Amino acid sequence: MKFSQNGLYIESYTKCTNCGVLIYDKIDQAVKGPDNASYCSSWCIDWKKDRDARRSKVKVTS
Amino acid sequence: MQNIIGIDIGGTFTDFVSYDPKTGEIHNWKNLTTPAEPIDGVLEGLERVEDVKKLDKLRLGTTIATNALLTRRGAKVAYVTTSGFRDVPFIQRGDRRSHYDITWIKTKPLVARRNCHEVSERLSAKGEVVEALDEAAVRALAQKIKAQGDIEAIAICTLFSYIDPAHEMRVRDIFAEVLPDTPISISYDVLPKWKEYDRASTTIADAYLKPIVSDNFRRMQKRLDGIGIGGKVGVIKSNGGEATLDGAAAAPVQMTLSGPTGAVVATRALSRLTGINNIVTFDMGGTSTDCSTVVDGMEHVTTSFEIEWGIPIQVPMIDIHTIGAGGGSIAWIDKGGMLRVGPQSAGAAPGPACYGRGGENATVTDANVVLGRINPDYFLGGKMKLDAAAAHRAVGKVAKALNIEPDAAAYAMVQIANNNMLGALRAVLLQRGLDPRDFTLLASGGAGPVHVCDLMEIAGIPKGLVPNYPGQFSAFGFIMTDARVDRHRTVQQTSKYFDATRATAAMTELANSAVAELTQYGYTQGIEVYRSIEARYLGQNHELELSFPGNEFNDETIADLWERFHAEHEARFGFAIPGETIETVNLKVVAISVSEKPEMKTLAKGSGKPEPRGTRRVRYEEGWHEVPVFNREDFKDGDKVQGPAVVEENASVTILRPEQNLVVDRFGNLLIAS
Amino acid sequence: MDFVTMNILESTMVSICREMGIVLMKTSYSTIFNEALDFTCGLADLNGDMIAVADYCPSQIGGMPLLVRSCLKEIPLSEIEEGDVILHNDPYRGGLHTPEHTFFKPIFADGELMGFAVAIGHIAEVGGMAPGGFCGEATEIFHEGLRIPPVKIKKRGKDNIEVWKLLLANVRTPRVNYGDLRALIAAVDLGEKQMAGIFQKYGRQKVQDTVRDLLLYSERRMRAELEALPDGRFNFIDHIESDGIEEDRKHTIEVEVTKKGGDIIVDYTGSSPQAAGPINATLGVATSAAYNAVLHMTDPSIPRNSGCFRPIRIVAPPGTIVNVDFPAPEVGGNTETHPRIVGAIMGAMAKAVPNRIMAAEGATHCNFVFGGVDADTGEFFACYDLEAVGWGGRAFADGNDAVDSINGNCRITPVEVYETRFPWRIESLAFNADSGGAGEFRGGLGYTKQMLCLNKEIICSQMTDRHLIAPWGLNGGGEGGTGATLVQKSGEEKWKTMREAYGKKSTSRYSNVSIREGDRVKLVTPGGGGYGDPGKRPKELVRDDLHEGYISKDFAKRAYKYQEAE
Repeated sequence: MKFSQNGLYIESYTKCTNCGVLIYDKIDQAVKGPDNASYCSSWCIDWKKDRDARRSKVKVTS
Repeated sequence: MQNIIGIDIGGTFTDFVSYDPKTGEIHNWKNLTTPAEPIDGVLEGLERVEDVKKLDKLRLGTTIATNALLTRRGAKVAYVTTSGFRDVPFIQRGDRRSHYDITWIKTKPLVARRNCHEVSERLSAKGEVVEALDEAAVRALAQKIKAQGDIEAIAICTLFSYIDPAHEMRVRDIFAEVLPDTPISISYDVLPKWKEYDRASTTIADAYLKPIVSDNFRRMQKRLDGIGIGGKVGVIKSNGGEATLDGAAAAPVQMTLSGPTGAVVATRALSRLTGINNIVTFDMGGTSTDCSTVVDGMEHVTTSFEIEWGIPIQVPMIDIHTIGAGGGSIAWIDKGGMLRVGPQSAGAAPGPACYGRGGENATVTDANVVLGRINPDYFLGGKMKLDAAAAHRAVGKVAKALNIEPDAAAYAMVQIANNNMLGALRAVLLQRGLDPRDFTLLASGGAGPVHVCDLMEIAGIPKGLVPNYPGQFSAFGFIMTDARVDRHRTVQQTSKYFDATRATAAMTELANSAVAELTQYGYTQGIEVYRSIEARYLGQNHELELSFPGNEFNDETIADLWERFHAEHEARFGFAIPGETIETVNLKVVAISVSEKPEMKTLAKGSGKPEPRGTRRVRYEEGWHEVPVFNREDFKDGDKVQGPAVVEENASVTILRPEQNLVVDRFGNLLIAS
Repeated sequence: MDFVTMNILESTMVSICREMGIVLMKTSYSTIFNEALDFTCGLADLNGDMIAVADYCPSQIGGMPLLVRSCLKEIPLSEIEEGDVILHNDPYRGGLHTPEHTFFKPIFADGELMGFAVAIGHIAEVGGMAPGGFCGEATEIFHEGLRIPPVKIKKRGKDNIEVWKLLLANVRTPRVNYGDLRALIAAVDLGEKQMAGIFQKYGRQKVQDTVRDLLLYSERRMRAELEALPDGRFNFIDHIESDGIEEDRKHTIEVEVTKKGGDIIVDYTGSSPQAAGPINATLGVATSAAYNAVLHMTDPSIPRNSGCFRPIRIVAPPGTIVNVDFPAPEVGGNTETHPRIVGAIMGAMAKAVPNRIMAAEGATHCNFVFGGVDADTGEFFACYDLEAVGWGGRAFADGNDAVDSINGNCRITPVEVYETRFPWRIESLAFNADSGGAGEFRGGLGYTKQMLCLNKEIICSQMTDRHLIAPWGLNGGGEGGTGATLVQKSGEEKWKTMREAYGKKSTSRYSNVSIREGDRVKLVTPGGGGYGDPGKRPKELVRDDLHEGYISKDFAKRAYKYQEAE
């Protein structure tokens, strides 16, 4: 469905795999991570990588 | 006409203004307030009156009630309410004073929880008795409280008593039998309006104040009897009206805002005298500033007031917005490097740096000295020498921190102080839907005239007025005060099913009871009654007030009321909902016994071109100007001054901006236009 | 930076926002607006950055920037004309939850678009499965009411009648909704008009420059605050008891706060996958909650605008309880999950700055909602109402009793207003003794509201929390009291939970229970957790609490080892 010049009326937007923000327009240009998932920025790719590494070493407890 | 004296007991000074009808002379003076026993300061000031026995009337603005509430030095109260609801004063409304502040400590009510009691009784929302009053239990409770021995006053507030007060009154009567010497306040007398927390809080405050105010008045009466004028005293209530000492002691919660009302009463009188219909007042002192409005010649009365956050006191009072900013407000630099002014104040001691009493912080008054706006040699008419060097030193520190020139720093301080004042003006104008362009800004207080011209500019108020006696304006108002009773009651009906008979009966009773209260205390002359109705669209929760011509509700007056409601809603909020059901909520009556007013002396006609006494350098936004300095005593009727200019007088100084001019009217008021 | 102009402009803009709120309060119909003040008014620039806001509801304050930005993605600036008013409530498009309606109006100066006046308000009745907007058993967004993507409710100053008709045909109380929508429009009208005057007075460039500096200033203040906190990585895990759908399943909120210099990163990775029931938070809520927590730990005098939020980065993985994906339900996320997220962030930061944190608060708004047909007028009524809870104890003071949870600053509705508006009789409103967690500084108290149904039938739903999992204490403080909702059917003695009485999956989240005339409902709100070792609480204070009735003899003995001679 397109109701507006930029065509943004759709039911499910792509979200950044890491931080969860909506990636609105130019979805095809979203940053692809090494896991081939969509990211909003390279910061998010790095953050996720670091966190995964960190958490695989230490189990977080409350 | 009477020989009157108005006395305003303020935090620092007690102000006196007297009027002698034989000569038409008005005199004003002040001396230091004596906080421990304020009547001492009053008697000291009265020594300056040649023959006090010749006085016909003394009107007194008092801070007894306000101080007792703020310092929590009232009575030990027992609170009695409907079964199930003794925690209402503690639960309050659940909101908090400010966001994001985990240090906040919720305000405690003026009563201890262990002294809150419940009695079995209940009315429905329509006023039907759902549960009868358990009189035996009430009596047992009264006896228990009596046995407890330490309760000094009783507050009674039951649910829906504003519809039918029978239960509340019966509880009061039983308590009065058991505890004949303990003062009792019931919510129906204090505030017969819906919303139980506000009503309870106000009723508790009334009981809390009764013993201390009665004691105080008794002592005052005795001292004044000593000089033969005990019978001539009236005190000023928060609604700006006069009451006798007995009348005021019977409902002390009505005196929580006594002194500041004088300035508004004086403004209303000036409005009538000069024909200026819409005035916004700006009373700026050392530590605080009061703003209020007179619209179409009438002051604005409110019932939403909190003595401190969480303690609503909702009796009718003149709507005065107070902010903690004045000439003594201190400049400082915040963590982000922004210059701020106040709310910290240098107060009366040590005061601004230029007072030379050891104050080292730069205050607004110091900035005004640096800018040449205040003449250090002519402060309080030259009675107090200011230390200009100290002002420069203090402001210099601020300038250094900001890395700017001292005069630029001083000007920035004044601008930010003005901006704080602007907040108070917005609160009384724009927040009520009033357009600043329709108003005249009236400046009083020692610092008011210094800032009035700048404020006109930043607030978009086209005209300004500096009255006579700006330094004792409240006391001046007291010589023109009327006796006044405000009554209101919730009587809910809708435009769909409107019972005109019920409304007429309620309005008639309300008007009669207001007039009866006036006459009970001897105010019988020139009684005027004003009626109004608070209404809203059915479903809304806040009301618009509409005047109503008489007691009589008939087809004509009712139709007119609905029509005016839609129009008023459109005017105030920018839209109306035609055809929507309207709900009337409160009926209101104001009864006034109009006192005789002093005849104001007029000035001789002048040449129109007054002579300045000299010139001095004053810093404006664009830079320094060498400006003429006038003395107000030299002005005659019709004199004109073009800015930039300075007008000095004993109490203050007016700083006319370059684009402004000033005209002196026949009463000596300075009328400023941009 | 021109600090003087900035100071003046900032306070003027905040005044404008406050004035917008006053118009909204005075003209709206629902008690949730005019008594509870569940709304927020602000101003935004063309980027959607919030440039000023008045202190009304905190959850909406933090949510505003994302809301406006999201709308502008779908209605480009080039399509916005003078006199338009845009309406939106879509939770998946930057929204907070379905009842939260955002209105914004463009501000033009000399024909050029300069920014927006924004009002966000909670509309009590939004259609959907249950009256009052909080369907505790919703499993998809379509149960939760009418969803509105950004649309123009006014075009060039004229009502867009088609939109109005669609809106009002889909709710149970069109007359009341009409009044509330009009009030929201009056608020943005006022904001637009006054702000246009500001542009006129100072000039476009001066205002834009000053606003840019103002945002920088707030950012600088916030960074300075953050720099003063210890660096490090802090974790906390908390649990939510049920989602109303899956019986007895607990959901996890996991927070990892990374504080480094003037930056702070709040990472929710590890939180549960999105729930089947309506306790999911939207991205807007997860963002707002992080902002809310940080604002509570820093200087409250920083001018509130998007500048304060720049040092805060949020990582909220999609498809989780903190960032719900279409079409999962979400209405409770904004009221219930939000304060729990704030609590978890505070719990994490307690390791860094114990003096600036309080123990867990009640963290629920109770959200007992209902509707029905009034026997007197024949008109449908619906009510969204909220209740207050106890605050947690702090390193310097007891928790406050009966305060709205931390993501709202709403007021409870007076008994006399409630009974005049709705067919209930409130039989009592009283503190729950012993509900404040024990501690050197005890938790605040919750309370109980008991009501009798006066209508033939009232359909009730609820979205609350803390019936099972008590508010945690801090540094040795005890847990706060839990809440409860109990019903006593007419003619019966026993008080039952909604689970016992109506076979609901959860006691705290359920929908469409039919309460009949003569039935009673009791809402018990939770207290707050205690702070510090109860043994260190001075005996005089324990005695005082006992004499004032805040604690029972039993509790005094059990929690404080305090006993008085009989």
